[in-house]
Order: sequence, then C-alpha cells, then structure tokens
Amino acid sequence: MRNFTLTTILLLCCIFAMNAQNVVRGIVINSDSEKPLQGVSVNVKEANINSLTDANGSFTLKGLTDGKQIVTVSFNGFETQNFPVILSGKEVDLGEILMYEDISEDQDLSTITITDDELSDDTSAADNISGLLQSSRDIYLRTAAFEWSSSFYRIKGLDSENGKVLINGIEMNKLYNGRPQWSNWGGLNDVLRNQELTNGLTPSNYTFGGVLGSTNISTRASEYRKGTRISYASSNRSYSHRLMATYSSGLMENGWAITASGSRRAGNEGYVDGTFYNANSIFLSTEKKLSNKHSLNLTIIAAENKRGKSAPHTQEVYDLRGTKYNEYWGYQNEKMRNSRTKRVYEPILMLNHYWDVSNKTSINTNVSYQFGEIGNSRIDYNGGNNPSPVYYQNLPSYWLDRNNIQQAYEAEQRFINDGQLNWDQIISDNKNSSNSSDPYVLYEDRNDDKQLSINSILNTELNDNIILNAKLQYSKLESDNFASVTDQLGGSGYLDINRFASIGTNSRQNDLLNPDRIVKEGDRFKYNFKLDSEVYNAFLQAQFKYNKVDFYLAGDVSRTSHQRTGLYKNGRFENNSFGKSPKQEFTNFGTKAGLTYKITGRHLLDFNGGYITKAPSIRNTFSNSRENNATVVGLNSEKMLSADASYIFRSPMVQAKLTGYYTKIEDATDIGFFFLQTAFAEAFVQEVTTGINKKHFGAELGIEAQITPTIKLKGAANIGQYTYDNNPNVYVSSEDFISNNNALGIRNLGTTYLKNYKVAAGPQKAYSFGFEYRDPDYWFIGATANYLDDTFIDISPITRSDAFYKDSDGLPFNNYDPAVAKELLRQEQFESYLVLNAVGGKSWKIGGYYIGTFASINNILGQEYKSGGFEQSRRAHYNQLLEESQREKRLFGNKYWFGRGTTYFLNVYFRF
Amino acid sequence: MKIYKKIILSLVTVASIVFTSCVDNNDYTLPNIIGNEENKALNAVLDSINNRTLTLRTINEVKQDWFTSRQAKQVNQNIVVKGYVTSSDATGNFFKEFYMQDAIENATSGIKVVLNQTNSHNQFNIGREVYIRLKGLYIGETRSGDNDATIGGFVENGGTELEAISENQIKKFNHILRSNKSEEIIPLNVKFSAIGDQHLGMLVKINNVFFDENLAGKTYFDPTRSFDTDRLMKSCEGFDFTEFELATSSFANFGGSALPSGGGSIKAIVTKNYSRQLRLALNSVDDVDMNGDKCTLLNINDFTEIFKEDFEATSGNINITDWTNFNQEGTRLFRSYSDRYSSSRATSIGSFRSNDTNTISWLITPEIDLDNTANEFLTFETSNSFADGSELEVLISTNWDGNTANLETATWETLPANIVSDSESFRNWVSSGLVELTNYSGKIRIAFKYTGSGDRSKDGTYEIDNVIVLAQ
Repeated sequence: MRNFTLTTILLLCCIFAMNAQNVVRGIVINSDSEKPLQGVSVNVKEANINSLTDANGSFTLKGLTDGKQIVTVSFNGFETQNFPVILSGKEVDLGEILMYEDISEDQDLSTITITDDELSDDTSAADNISGLLQSSRDIYLRTAAFEWSSSFYRIKGLDSENGKVLINGIEMNKLYNGRPQWSNWGGLNDVLRNQELTNGLTPSNYTFGGVLGSTNISTRASEYRKGTRISYASSNRSYSHRLMATYSSGLMENGWAITASGSRRAGNEGYVDGTFYNANSIFLSTEKKLSNKHSLNLTIIAAENKRGKSAPHTQEVYDLRGTKYNEYWGYQNEKMRNSRTKRVYEPILMLNHYWDVSNKTSINTNVSYQFGEIGNSRIDYNGGNNPSPVYYQNLPSYWLDRNNIQQAYEAEQRFINDGQLNWDQIISDNKNSSNSSDPYVLYEDRNDDKQLSINSILNTELNDNIILNAKLQYSKLESDNFASVTDQLGGSGYLDINRFASIGTNSRQNDLLNPDRIVKEGDRFKYNFKLDSEVYNAFLQAQFKYNKVDFYLAGDVSRTSHQRTGLYKNGRFENNSFGKSPKQEFTNFGTKAGLTYKITGRHLLDFNGGYITKAPSIRNTFSNSRENNATVVGLNSEKMLSADASYIFRSPMVQAKLTGYYTKIEDATDIGFFFLQTAFAEAFVQEVTTGINKKHFGAELGIEAQITPTIKLKGAANIGQYTYDNNPNVYVSSEDFISNNNALGIRNLGTTYLKNYKVAAGPQKAYSFGFEYRDPDYWFIGATANYLDDTFIDISPITRSDAFYKDSDGLPFNNYDPAVAKELLRQEQFESYLVLNAVGGKSWKIGGYYIGTFASINNILGQEYKSGGFEQSRRAHYNQLLEESQREKRLFGNKYWFGRGTTYFLNVYFRF
Repeated sequence: MKIYKKIILSLVTVASIVFTSCVDNNDYTLPNIIGNEENKALNAVLDSINNRTLTLRTINEVKQDWFTSRQAKQVNQNIVVKGYVTSSDATGNFFKEFYMQDAIENATSGIKVVLNQTNSHNQFNIGREVYIRLKGLYIGETRSGDNDATIGGFVENGGTELEAISENQIKKFNHILRSNKSEEIIPLNVKFSAIGDQHLGMLVKINNVFFDENLAGKTYFDPTRSFDTDRLMKSCEGFDFTEFELATSSFANFGGSALPSGGGSIKAIVTKNYSRQLRLALNSVDDVDMNGDKCTLLNINDFTEIFKEDFEATSGNINITDWTNFNQEGTRLFRSYSDRYSSSRATSIGSFRSNDTNTISWLITPEIDLDNTANEFLTFETSNSFADGSELEVLISTNWDGNTANLETATWETLPANIVSDSESFRNWVSSGLVELTNYSGKIRIAFKYTGSGDRSKDGTYEIDNVIVLAQ
C-alpha cells in the first residue's frame, strides 16, 4: 500500500511538471451587481482541472496541456458559460467574465418533494433522503430526488441516517434516530440554496459524512444574491398555498450583509383526506465582515410546522375507500379535525466565525443552539373504545369471520358511508363520564430537545495538490420526553393508569410516586423521562489532486454516550424505571479512501471504499425508553463496509455515469412495538432484533444526451438487491413476562430466519426515461416515464422465529407443515408500476425584473400503487397465519402506504 | 412600470389570501349540541307515545307479554320499554350487555339488554334513563332456560338464543335511546334467602355480609380459572347463615383485588351464570363495604315463640279460634290438607276450577301483642303447586279491628318475606327467612293474601305452614 501511494505520487508529480507552463486567468463578475463573485467553479472538463474563484472573483487554472481546451465557468444560480482557449505554453487571460443569472433554476427549488411531507416518521416507509439530493447536478441523483421520491425510493436502499445534513458545518441529523428533521428548515427554499453535496463516500470539506454522503447548506449572508424575491405556489400535494418572500442586501459597504426570508404554507387538506398543513418559517442571517480575514455571521432559523398525518391501511380498507382515505380525521362542528397531528417547532440559533488565516488556510468555528418542541398527537382511551374507524371489529372482515353476512354488509355500508372518527361521540361520552375519569383524552407525545453543538473546521491547502481538512466537534443533547394532555375533549379529568392492569396493583400505575392521578390540560402523564447524549468527534482528511489521478484518505473518531433518567417510577418496572440508567458509551471510528483515475478527459474511473462503525442511535439503545431504563440486550455499534466503482463518460453531447456499489451492514438493531397474540403470550410487547446483517448491492446509471441545442434526453436506472444477510436474534419484552429472575420481562425467541428476505427499502429497481425541451425564448417543457419495480413489504421478525411453529409448551404445533409454512411466510412483493410526470415553465426578464412561472404534474395517469408497507405482527404463529390465509378478508392483514394519484404544483415568482 | 404595479398588487392580493386562509388545526370549540340527534330521536319516540302510535310498557308488562323461557319472540307491536341502567361494563365485569330495572328506587323488575357495543357505560351509565323501541327486536334468553329475560337484536341460526343488538340497530335505527335523565339508583334491600329470579337485573343491597372464612387472602378472581370465579358470601339471617355466590369475570379489572376480610354490605346485580344459577355480580369494588365487624347470629336460646301455628290440628276449611279465613272475592277459602312430602298438615289456597272471575282470599292471624317483647321475627314456610300468575302476599296491620267489612279501610303493609317462587319445585318448602317485626308495636295481625282467578293462567295453589313469631 505504501509503495503504491509513493509510486502514484511520483507519477503524478511528473505529469504535473510536464504541463506547468500553461496558465488561464480571469475574474468573474455578477452582471447585475457588477460585483465579483466568489466560489464560482471554473474547470476544464477534458483535463479534469477545477478551481474556485476567490473573494475578488479571480481564478487561475494551471497544469493544462497544449492545444484546444474548453474552460467552463459555472455557478449555482447562474448560466454556465464555456470559453474555448488555445494553449501553447503562454498565459491566457480571459479578463472579466460577466455571469448572468439563470432564471430557469427556479424549477428545482419549487418542486415539492417528499421532504415537505415526511408523511409519518414513525414508520420506515416514510424515510427519504431526497432532500439531500436536490442540489445535485448528477442526472441519476436528480432523477431519484425529483421523479422517484414519491415512491419512497432510496439511494442504494439505505436510510436517510446514512446521509448527513449540515448547516454551516454543523451536523443537523438528530441524535435520537440519526435522521435529519426537514421540518426544522422547511419552507425556506430561497435561502437554503447554497448547498454543497457530496455523493457517497466522496470527500466533503466539512464532514466525514455517511455512506450516502453529505450536504452542507451555507447560510452566510454575504453569499446571497442581492435582491428581493416573492413567489406564490399552489398545489394539491401537501399544502394548497405557499407564499415566500426573501430579501438579501448583499455585502454592503459598511461590511454588513443581511438576508431575511419568510414563508407560509397552508392548506386544509393535502392529497390524502384530512391532512391539513400549516407552516410558518422565518429566516434571518446577518454577517459582519470584521476585517479581510475575519467575518462573523449570525443565523436564526425558526420554522413552525403543524400538519395532519395519514395512516397506512390494509387491503380491505383500500378496497372500500381507496388511496385518499385517512382514518385519523372526523368532523367536529362540521369542520374536519385530524386526531394525529405532528407539530414541530425547533428554532436554530447559529453563530459562525470565518477566519481566512491565509489565502491557503481557513478556520471556521461554529456554535449552534437548537431548542424547541416536537409533538405528535393522538387519542388515549382508558375508559372508551378504540376510536379508530378501522379497528378490526368495525370492519366487514370481522363479521365475515363470524359467518354473519348481514352484519358484514352493515359494517361495510357504515364504513363506506361514514368510516371517520366520531368526535361528537367521544366528546359526548366525555361529558357523560360521571366518575372522575374521562374515557378519552387528546394528548401529544412530546420531545423537547435542547442541543448545543460547537465545532471548528480547518481547511488548508498544503500545496497546489494537497488539501487537508480537519474538524473537532462537540454536541450535547438534553431531551425531555413525556406525554402531555392537549385537549380534554369536554371531559373533566383523565385518570393516568394502565387500563389493562387490575386495580390495586402496582402495574396499573404509570407513576408509583403519584398513583391514580387525575390529569388535565397541560399536565404530563403516561411517561416522563430525560435523555442525555454527548458526542465528541474528530475528523481528518487529506485530498490529493493531480492531473491523472485524484485521491483522498479520511478518518473519523467519535465518542458517544447516552443516558436515560426516569422521572416516573413506572409500576410495571418499579426497580428499573426511576432515576438514571447506566451510561451507555460507544467509541467509533470510520475510515475511507477513494481514487479518481482520468483515462482521458472523457473517460474517468472512480473508486471509493470505506469502513464505518456507528454508535447506536438513542432510539436503538433503549428498548422501552418510555417505561424503563432497559438497554437493548446485545447492543453493538453498527458496522458498515461500503465500496463503489464508477465509469464516467463526458462528451459535449453525452454525459453518463455507471456505478456499481456494494454495502454490507452488520450488527444493526431494530425495535418494534405492538400487541402480540400468540401461543406463548397475549401482551403488548417490544420486539428487539439485534445483530442484523444486510447486504445491499447493485448498479446505478445516469445518462443525458443533448440531442439538439434545445432537446435533451435523460435516462436513469438502478438495479439493486437489498437483502438480509444473516439470521439475527430476536427477543420480546413485556411487563407480562416479569418474574423474580427476569426483572425486565425479556423472552428470548432465539434466531429469526431472515437471511435472503428482502429489505423493505423502497423500489429496488427503478428506471426513468424522459426529455426536456428548452426554448431559447425562456420556456421549457419536459416529461419522464418512470418504472418502479421490486418493492417489498417489511417483514415481521417474530413470525420468522421458532415462536412461529411452537405451541405454548414449546413443542411444534401438531398440524405444522413446513411446505405450508413456507407459503405463509413468503414475503409480499408489490406490483410494479409506471408513473408519468411532466414539467414546464416560462420566464420573462423585463428590465431588471424577473417574472417566472413553473408547473409540474405528477403521476399523470393516476396510477394507484403501493409504495411500502409492513406485516402486522399481532397474530404471529403458524395456526393464526394459516387461519388468516384462509379468510376471505384478513383481520390483521398487511398495512400499506399508497402513492398519490395525479397531483399538480404551480409556482409564480417575481424578483427584483 | 404599470405592469410591475399590477404584479405587486396581485401578489399582495394572493398574499392576503394565503395568510387569511386559516387552517383549522387548533382551538376547536366543543360541539354544544351534543346528543341532539339522539334527543331528536327520543323526542320523536316520546311524541309517538303521547299521540298513541307507540305504547310505553313497563318491564314487568313486557316480560309478561313477551317472555317465555326457552323461546325467542320477535316483538311485532309498536311498544317501547323504559328502564334505568343498573350495570356497567366500565370494569370489565359485564361485557356487551347491560341490565336495567323499572325504577330508580323500589324497583320491581329488571331485564337484560345485549348489544354489540363495548364500553357502553359511556352512553348507558348506571342510573341512565333508557328507552328501547322493541318492535323488530327479540325477547328471550342468551342461555336457553336460564330465565334471565333479555332484549336482543337477533336469534342465533337454528336456535332460540339471542344475539346482540347490532350497531346499526342502535345507531341507525335508534332502537336504544337515552334521555338526559341520569340519577343514582337506590338499591333494593334484600336478604340472600330472598333473592330469586324476580330480582334478575336489579341492583340489590345486602347487609350483614362477609366472605367465607376459607377465602381469607384470596382475590375476587381466581387466576387459575378461565372464565368466572364464584366467591362464597355469607350473611347472618337471624339464627342461620345464608349463603350466596359472587361471580367475577376474568376480564374484570378488580379481579386481582383482595377480598375484604371484614363484614358489611354489598351492592350488586342479580344475574345468572353459565350454569343458569343465580349469582351476584359487581359493578365495582366500590360497592363492597366490608371493613366493619362481621355479623353474628342470633341465639335461638334467647328467643321464645310468642305465637305459633302448625295447622296440625286443622281439617276442612281453616277455622282456628280468632283466625280469620275470608273470601273477599270468589268462593275459595284456605283449607287444611296433609302434605305428602313433609308428612305434616298445612294450609293451602288455590282457585283451580273455581270458575270465579276473581279470587281474593285472606287468612289472618289473631292479634299478636308486641308491646312486652323485643326483637320480634316472623317466620313461616311456603310451597306451591301448578305455579302460575296467581300471587301470595304477606301483610301486616296494626289497626284492623277484626271485622272483615273493614278490611279495605285498615292499613296493610307488605312484609319483605321470601315466598316460594314459581320456578321452585312443588315438593319443596321454602323458608320465609326471618322477617323483622321490630318496627311494629302494639297489637298486630299477619295476613296471607291470595290473588288469583279461575283462569288457567292464574289458578295456582300456594301452601303455608309453621307460622311462628319469635321474640326476646
């Protein structure tokens, strides 16, 4: 290895030396403001030489070979320009290059992708990383973001926790589950457009990143284009209206720069019934240039988002009510009211210090404080019926199972004609409650987080070929978690108990220190605990850039600790719920390296490989954090081995990239919660699967061809296979299993035979083909056809364990037939489907004013499709599944997420 | 520049639309017209009762007209029955059913309602006034032969047992309606020895109760059982303990609570269990008040019989000195007879083959002086033959002068004695229990009053023996 590196360096030095004499210079200037533009990318594609303009807008390209070359000058938000130059050992000065604003870009930032919705973050189906990809210029990534995101497509089949989102170098992924919380900055598209994306393992100057890469969003006030922009959008996807206004002062003579933006997104109903949307966002960034070397920037982001959630449904419900049906809402006083709302308000304060130590070295120090609330509402019913209209006893299948055709028919008619939440009944019952406990209450599951992050990022060019990046970061999270009554729904007081436990027993109490408490609006109940997490992190990276070869090496070390502090003494876990849990500490490292070999300027090869260990997220550390201090048994850091190889082809007409990838995940953990009715128990359980290995591999292709100056053809494809790669261990825990020598109530079910089942990670195969027509008269249209295939249901580990075929005495069921079992445990594969999308837009420039409009129609054919789903684990043994399979309609069938039908988005903007 | 002004103007307009298009996601006002739909339906029923298109019947009448054990009858008349809910499924001891009785206080009859609704206590809470439109519903039993009169929605296929009133029958066809009236039920005070089928569905209260000593440390529900657990209760009734079982469902959330070790009272519903036996069932352990001392039995040695008649010396129509044997209506008088099963003489009364339109017959004791004694009790035994709609009552008067002409003007109060029920075997003699007379003083007379007719459904025979008044 050492020899190889040395040889490579020597080889590159020689190549470099041969071409030292050719130099291209220039200064890039904004045509509107006539000010220099910093950070503009200048490159010679054929030679793969890149540079960025400095604060004065100037650039210098070195190391070019003699002959005809094309210098490309491009900058986000501006039209790309090409300059042919003939080099013959002399310096070429391109002089002042005027950059014109690209008014077609508004298309990208207007599109609503799934990150606007985050339909239901509780389920894996809604996890999506498209928000990471929008700034990409890569055709494959753009297709994934804009065409496939509504199908819950995932790059390489990986979760969004594998992609890091940074704002000014501060990592914004939540420590709780590792995922970015898009709502924290939603609706501020105008001011979050300065993004730097690194795809996969390729190096970022800000972070080690994840296997899927990273996006750094810069909110530095001086980097915004001066001016005002107002836009209005109308849609039927998640919100009905969006109004957005942004003002940016640019860097003023007194050294100050100010950018402010605000938006409102609102709608009474999105595509799915009863999903209201109500979001207000405010952004303010001010920068003071203290000297040529120092600059301070303060950013405030306050995005408030509240919306109604939608639910996954069984086939039975879909057959009766279609894809728009949502069980969560009902009429109250003739207004639609959704019982499950998600409310996010977590303002971010950020202070950034930019220090250009020299023209080769910069140190960027950042402090961020984020605080606020997340609330997910639902109805609790200690003394009432499950209010859900799709509760299994309300559906026709329940009666069919009892051979009662008349009742089945009546249930069906009721469900079709009404089938919504009955608020009036709930409130009437609450008003009627005579004893001091209401049957129903509306409450929120709250996460109130306070997170402090401090880091310092060093970026230095050791010489023309070597860039060194280093970073030290500290983060501290204090998270307050509890349930809080938000609406008593006409009642007078709600008894805080576990209704399923016998009265007089400890297990009936959620807090033994305060038994049989009556709670009212604003009171905490059910559970109450704090989580403290700390992360220390160091990152070091070296990037080498030479004529024929670019390569990099990076390493990352972190120390993570999680601790739970119970504030309630839970009656089910008297000795293990109150006070501090043992501190869980993890030391992790990551290392990666990669190489780009330029065969010629047209043909490139790119290789990346990395090995990363990840500390378990808080969610995967504590198996039942609401009730006790138990940590997952057999908890380990997750290990990821990832490698990819790409062939890149660039010609003036065709650009293409073909990538093969392989990722192996080891020791992953999965926790599920559900009511289990099986041979050995009927109980509400936590199902913990540990030591999961997964194997993701496949090939990605992105290709675009500029057939004529106005017509471009685009194509993208992914053929992947994401499977479980071993048979991990599964256990369930429940208060019902507690005994003297089993204080945590753990029932080990042993091995679950998951190997070779598919991972539920969106479509594993996806194809897109489309065109774009861009008229010189500032209008364009485009359309794509997308075919998505190989989407699988999320399987239940418990039914793949020995508990599946064993009766309560541990012996197999008498009628157990492995051939039948194999059929029962077959993983459901969803039907493949075709989705057609179209876009179009036009813009006008009149004087210094820009007016533009953009529209898109998604799923023109109104294709109905299942985008994801999961098996219900309630009935988990052989005979139950056998019974289910013989029913005309399943009682506890798989639950599905459905894609949207035809939707539109229309945006108009005005800029001056 | 005009165009920009227009654009700005339109943007401002759009802005105001967006910002004022408020989203209904907060601050919901409570519907203040809750239950209006239901009230509308109830008012319609009440109107129909007023204009006589619907007839309001008592629970007693409904049972009499429509209930026959081992049969299910679909009601085909426009009748509605009113009741007050006595049971609650809040604790899980009752499931998809509730009982109701005919009055808040001093109820005389109860009936069961089976409905396909859980947590029905949220609408039909204890004490709630409920109207049930019966036309189309069924009256029968959920366990054939248990004699627990029930209103149901359907009959099982090929059988006679009732199935629950469906959600549609409740919500769409408004068969069960509640009024705004909801009051606290005053339970009927009874003794274990007196509890019979006539009490089914009623909330009763029993004093001087404790759980069997063998149950010390046990819980209401025996966790080794699958369904109901019976717990034996005892009560002091004079000289003897009487017993009764309290049945608790495995789904009752108080099943794990310890049985109280003291004595006191219990309020519970009279029900039938799966074996068709009478049981008490709790709404809640709050209805068990047994923290006091256990009751003690009276000592027979402390008592003397201040009055006794065993009819051994009688024959023909009863004609004992100072007794009154009077046929107020009809021809029948109390007669002496020799009972084959007890090998003793007793008296009987019945209107069988009398051809009388009405039969009212009295057998009245001589004056008994209660002034010189304390703690007086009446006991007697009854038996029946050809039980049917005829009635036997035990009455007491302190002011009847012995003249049969003045029977109607004298004050007669009913004594809470246990009289043989129609379902009892004709061979058995049933004790009246110790009927307290301590509230009476002076000279009293006890009367046995028979009501019947020559009609076949009201011509049953009652037998009476061993009428005794004990005192200290």
